[in-house]
Amino acid sequence: MATAQCEMKAAGGDATARALARLERARAICEAEPDATFENVWHALILLEDDPRDRLNRSLIRGRAAAIQR
Amino acid sequence: MDAPPPFSDREIAFLDALVAEGVDFLVVGLAAAALQGAPAVTQDVDLWFRDLAGPALGRALHRVGATCIPPTPSTPPLRAGAGTELFDIVVHMRGLESFASEYRRAEPITVGRVRVCVLPLDRIIVSKRATGRPKDLSILPALEDTLRARRAMPGAEGSDR
Repeated sequence: MATAQCEMKAAGGDATARALARLERARAICEAEPDATFENVWHALILLEDDPRDRLNRSLIRGRAAAIQR
Repeated sequence: MDAPPPFSDREIAFLDALVAEGVDFLVVGLAAAALQGAPAVTQDVDLWFRDLAGPALGRALHRVGATCIPPTPSTPPLRAGAGTELFDIVVHMRGLESFASEYRRAEPITVGRVRVCVLPLDRIIVSKRATGRPKDLSILPALEDTLRARRAMPGAEGSDR
């Protein structure tokens, strides 16, 4: 149990560290590129951490959902 | 229970068959942009072929139990069969050079177990800008920002190979 909790904390810590690093990177990109939009850069950085097949599936799932809503 | 992902092993099998039969093709459009990290939404996967009339495409379709429905004056070429419905055939890309020129600068990306050639993000931007359609122009800022993110991210360019 204690081991599992430690692992969960470590995983959470990793995720937080990754998010902070991503935030720093997104800010740096937007500072260097005044035409950039933070939200776009942020989402692109998240997607770039994914496997290409997962990126495509996200896009297709959202495309289907949008089509259903229309 | 979660629905199966749209781009499943069936779709991978079709791409695998195209590669195995030596069919030259490029993944283009917003599916290509999504593969390169763009926060873009699409309903299908556009494929641009060097040669639609050659026997290799037919053999690839046959491998996965599908078939090609030839184009008519009012319809594009279509495929019928499991694993192929998600794909659209593109016969012309506005604003781009010939297939051969674009193929030479393609970005190889591994999708599942298959390495496919993908139109690079900067060329997708050129083609979207050339169409001039509002829906294509509206996605340009997201594509340009993805290009910026890829260039700023160490190893992002080429990391999907």
